[in-house]
Amino acid sequence: MPRFDDLIEADVPDAERSRLQHVHDLLVAAGPPPELSPRLEAGPTLAMTLSRPAKPRGRRIALLAATIAILAVAFVLGYVAGNRGGGLASAQTTMQLSGTHAAPAALAALKILPADTSGNWPMKLTATGLPKLGRDGYYEVFLVRNGKIYAPCGSFISKGNTRSIDVTLNAPYDLQPNDTWIVTKQKRGDRKAGTVVLRPTT
Amino acid sequence: MELALETPRLRAVPAERVPAPPVETTDADLLVRIADRDREAFDVLYHRYVRSMFGLALRRLRDRQRAEDAVQETFAAVWRSAASYRPERGPAAPWLYAIARNAIVDRFRTQIDTAGEVPEIVSADPGPADAAETSFVSWRVHRALETLPPREREVVELAYWSGLSQSEVAEYLHIPLGTVKTRTRSALARLADVLEGELS
Repeated sequence: MPRFDDLIEADVPDAERSRLQHVHDLLVAAGPPPELSPRLEAGPTLAMTLSRPAKPRGRRIALLAATIAILAVAFVLGYVAGNRGGGLASAQTTMQLSGTHAAPAALAALKILPADTSGNWPMKLTATGLPKLGRDGYYEVFLVRNGKIYAPCGSFISKGNTRSIDVTLNAPYDLQPNDTWIVTKQKRGDRKAGTVVLRPTT
Repeated sequence: MELALETPRLRAVPAERVPAPPVETTDADLLVRIADRDREAFDVLYHRYVRSMFGLALRRLRDRQRAEDAVQETFAAVWRSAASYRPERGPAAPWLYAIARNAIVDRFRTQIDTAGEVPEIVSADPGPADAAETSFVSWRVHRALETLPPREREVVELAYWSGLSQSEVAEYLHIPLGTVKTRTRSALARLADVLEGELS
């Protein structure tokens, strides 16, 4: 550690010198700031901002009561619809995704097709602007539920050219109305979701 | 005479950092905007605090992976709870510190739950009160460092944590020794302004 007298000239007035000495002592005590991993350096992840704001307690109770009521109605309606062979499983929807700072030029549309009779939800992802990754790199699509990564839905690579990528994916899970998807970049052997490159357009 | 210097083991001060936070935007302003779901404000706050929060988590958890997870959870909690911050009750930094500490404590409990054995030797580490005090000081000092202009921060980091003398810092940065001294003094004065009152 440097000596304070080596850093600051002797001609500094006493009051100022005392202030600077205090900061010097704090810097010595604090030690160096840590080196950030690429994951932290990359910035906030989508998962952070998908978590829902905390609600006041009174409002939470009212919401809970309303949710129970809605679930009860939904159950009855679902039961009826299910017995008719229609319902949620016949829905088709398209979600727009836009690039994060990790892939600012990227855009994608994720079409969720009707579920098959076994409960698989085929999906078609059309993406542009995704850069080519290194030799061991690939992109992974994740289902996000309640603000948390819930399950993988498939992976793909990009050549990094201007042509769009069309990949067929599948969600072998019971989808819920508020489910959403993100795309991350991964390296072989990764056990966790990497940096988010595409997230739902808000 | 030319000095043969090895590259110091320090983080480089990036030429382009993620959105340089406007000086006039306070942490409290950012939290108010985050409560309105402003992702840009969240991004700015994240880059202001990520290093100090990571340092805090690392000191406590002593495991980079767990510390990273704690930082992620901390920022998720900030996003969730920003609306509960009340500027009239005080500055944002202690509020953020409390959120970070809670996330780290949660991680620490998990670590204890999964730890196999109780150590046989009494630790010589500082007790909880001392550790908390040191952690808060380090947290604020690292956060204050982020407010320095990159040129001043670079000089401070080289002078304090690379083992270089001021002459060597000057040689390394290809700037006159007088400039190194001016930047050092200016940086310490700025840090004193930022930290004054919070740590006295």
